[in-house]
Amino acid sequence: MTIRLEKRETPLIGGWTVIVFSVAAVLVGMAVGGLLFLPFDASPLDGYAALIGKAFFNLRGFGFTLVAATPLMLVSFGTIVAWRCGFIFLGFEGCLLIGAMGGTMIGLQALDGGTLAGLPPALVTSLALAWGGVLGAFWAAIVGELKVRYGGNEVLIALMMNFLAIYLVQYLVVGPWRVVGDMPQTDRLPRDLWLPYIVDGTRLHAGILVALAAGIFVHILMTKTRAGYEMISSGLNPRSARYGGIDVAQRQRQAALIAGGMAGLAGAITIFGVHHRLLDGLSDGTGFLGIVTALLGRLTAPGAVVASVLYGGLSVGGDAMQRQSGLPSSIVVIVQATIVLLLLASEVLRTHRLVFGNPAATET
Amino acid sequence: MTSEPSTFLRMASITKRFGASVLANDRVDFDLRQGEVHALLGENGAGKSTLMNILYGLYEPTEGQIELDGLPISLRDPADAIEYGIGMIHQEFMLIDSFTVVENIVMGTTTLPEGAERTSAARRLVREISADYGLHVDPDARIEDMSVGQRQRVEILKLLFRHAKLLILDEPTAVLTPQETDALFEVLERLKQSGHAIIIVTHKMHEVMAISDRVSVMRGGRMIATVNTAETDEKSLVRLMVGRDLDMHLDRETRDRDGPLLEVAGLVVARRDGSKPAEPASFSIRRGEILGFAGVDGNGQTELIEALFGLGTIFDGNILLDDRDITDLSCLDRRNAGLGYIPPDRRGVGAQVTLSIEDNVILGSGKSYSPTGFIDRHTVRNDADKVIERFDIKAPDADFISGNLSGGNLQKLVLGREVSRNPQLLLIEQPTRGLDVGAIELIWAEIMALRNAGAAILLASTELEEIMALSDRIAVMFEGRIMGVVPRAEADTQLLGAMMAGRALEQARDPQVIS
Repeated sequence: MTIRLEKRETPLIGGWTVIVFSVAAVLVGMAVGGLLFLPFDASPLDGYAALIGKAFFNLRGFGFTLVAATPLMLVSFGTIVAWRCGFIFLGFEGCLLIGAMGGTMIGLQALDGGTLAGLPPALVTSLALAWGGVLGAFWAAIVGELKVRYGGNEVLIALMMNFLAIYLVQYLVVGPWRVVGDMPQTDRLPRDLWLPYIVDGTRLHAGILVALAAGIFVHILMTKTRAGYEMISSGLNPRSARYGGIDVAQRQRQAALIAGGMAGLAGAITIFGVHHRLLDGLSDGTGFLGIVTALLGRLTAPGAVVASVLYGGLSVGGDAMQRQSGLPSSIVVIVQATIVLLLLASEVLRTHRLVFGNPAATET
Repeated sequence: MTSEPSTFLRMASITKRFGASVLANDRVDFDLRQGEVHALLGENGAGKSTLMNILYGLYEPTEGQIELDGLPISLRDPADAIEYGIGMIHQEFMLIDSFTVVENIVMGTTTLPEGAERTSAARRLVREISADYGLHVDPDARIEDMSVGQRQRVEILKLLFRHAKLLILDEPTAVLTPQETDALFEVLERLKQSGHAIIIVTHKMHEVMAISDRVSVMRGGRMIATVNTAETDEKSLVRLMVGRDLDMHLDRETRDRDGPLLEVAGLVVARRDGSKPAEPASFSIRRGEILGFAGVDGNGQTELIEALFGLGTIFDGNILLDDRDITDLSCLDRRNAGLGYIPPDRRGVGAQVTLSIEDNVILGSGKSYSPTGFIDRHTVRNDADKVIERFDIKAPDADFISGNLSGGNLQKLVLGREVSRNPQLLLIEQPTRGLDVGAIELIWAEIMALRNAGAAILLASTELEEIMALSDRIAVMFEGRIMGVVPRAEADTQLLGAMMAGRALEQARDPQVIS
């Protein structure tokens, strides 16, 4: 008995097959992950009920899900633009931190005695988000310029730039910006600068609206405009794009700016919507998970929104599941990763089918 | 065993469907004898490639049987095919450039022949096979240092190394010079003598006549006829293949002699390796004139044309289009100034093969479909439909992914897109490489029509027949230099051949020098 992959003559591309396969992948992932519950005498069913119930069927929990999804979405949108333009950017983590730093910079200036003190809070917050985006864009533009002009390796450069950003933030919160106290963090921003909570009884802040607006922008950009066409063309085949009169280098520069800007915005939104101060360990891989959700969403903006919400739910629900079952948090992470892996693997089944049995016996 | 050549392979009633609507092979019968060269002839989309891919295990037939030596076999993937001694050489070679011949051959050979487990033994075996069949391949040469013809012989060697008894060659001469083609035919003759069965997929009629023992002709997914080559002629084969008589006659209107539209003066362009060519190039093209550029592939034609189109590096010299200096313009600005280009590599450069036909019509249009930044899909769609209709592109609609078009239809798309923008100057390279006669007929007629409408055309081709049929004047390039320009009336194969081999026009004209 063997299991083989056999190519399908016609790939399944319908919307329904995507949903069916994705749901099946999640279920299989849960079943596999459920095995890890057994040594701890925990019930997988109760655990998963807690996960799903908390993440999606509880107002407060769903609010947290969307809060977690917000930066993922923004990073995903940045990924869509950069990757489809052939700029394989992995520096979102760094851009996000730089954006968080930029936002905090503006916020701190609005404290008593700062240069921006006395300005209307809404203006300060808008300025802070914008400045976060600008700094994030600048951070990515360095990578883009090095790639486009000197043929630098964008993967390597971006990963190194991430370290730079991580330690720059660390330096600021233990050094010049540190507030008196035990924790390496800045002063808390005044409440009137915070992004407003938009649904009562939840911590869902207005950042989600900014993210969705950014998603609409990216979607229109990539599907309706010349810029999007030229970016996609540059990414698919730069030689062909150049032949078509497209300035590939220029488009990649622009893609880098947009990608970095999205991540920077995500950082600033996280500061003004969630933490309300800059602190060490601010980003826990969001800049990378956003790439995963973009890929799960097949590099389309609507797909990325769905994937980000699901992933946000997985992390929020994962915490709930851990509390319910008392499992070590590593198991929760394993379950999450298994589900994501199987989701990615299920793509194969759209172009291939599984064949069970002995190859010689099936030949009739 | 009788003295009659025995049937080696039989494909019976092969049907292959793709989805519900596409019937690529319709009850096709095909047989192959030991020690024969069998030409499989047909236009693009006739079903030849599908049939061969079934034989090579890339597709499974929807219906039908395959018998080898009288026994039914099932081919699930190329590994099965290789196991049965069936090997295929694709148009694009599957070789790793930075590896040596032996490395390439051993790599991917799952069951190494007896005694070839060690590189030294494999090298000896490669040398033996090479000597036996007159392949002249050095086992330790790197692929990147080899010519196209040599690379093809490495592919043949790879199959022989794997004990292939049946060799399928897909358009083997498409990329070869005349000399290389002759050498290939000698190799095939030797293979035939030693009992190998060979299938050549082609649409070049004179090659069918020169090399094959039998010809099978396919059209529209069906097998039309299988005939002995000796009992047929080119004309009747064409009729079988196309289903009608071809009209290769071109209406060449004589025009008033306008002044030059394109003037190139002392142009020095970068070669592939970045070095300068020996001599600056100067020439001009009038409106309503086709200037042919003959020459063996890789003698600087592409570099020169890419430089004209703004894709190459120019060290020195001027390009004047209608008295306007365009030397420093970007590719897009040149397109806007009325230049068009049909590149030799239609899949790698001329089209975005993962995008739809409609999206490919946008390529190179600059802002004309998107003055506001938003693409006017309605207009694009209309134009795409027009290109499909006018150039007879066989596709269900404009949403069809262009890369899934056959070579001929993809070329018609590239040509159609460039021609429908009414360029003043169209640069064309290898417009019919690998295409069948039906497509060539249409493409030649379109090029001539554009000339007659008053466009200037630069046509670079390695096919002398094409150059002679279309050009008003012919320039010959050799190692980055223009060896001379002759009017078509004064050109013949011998003269052009001598210039292509590196003789200047004056020398080539002198019969004393041509030995």
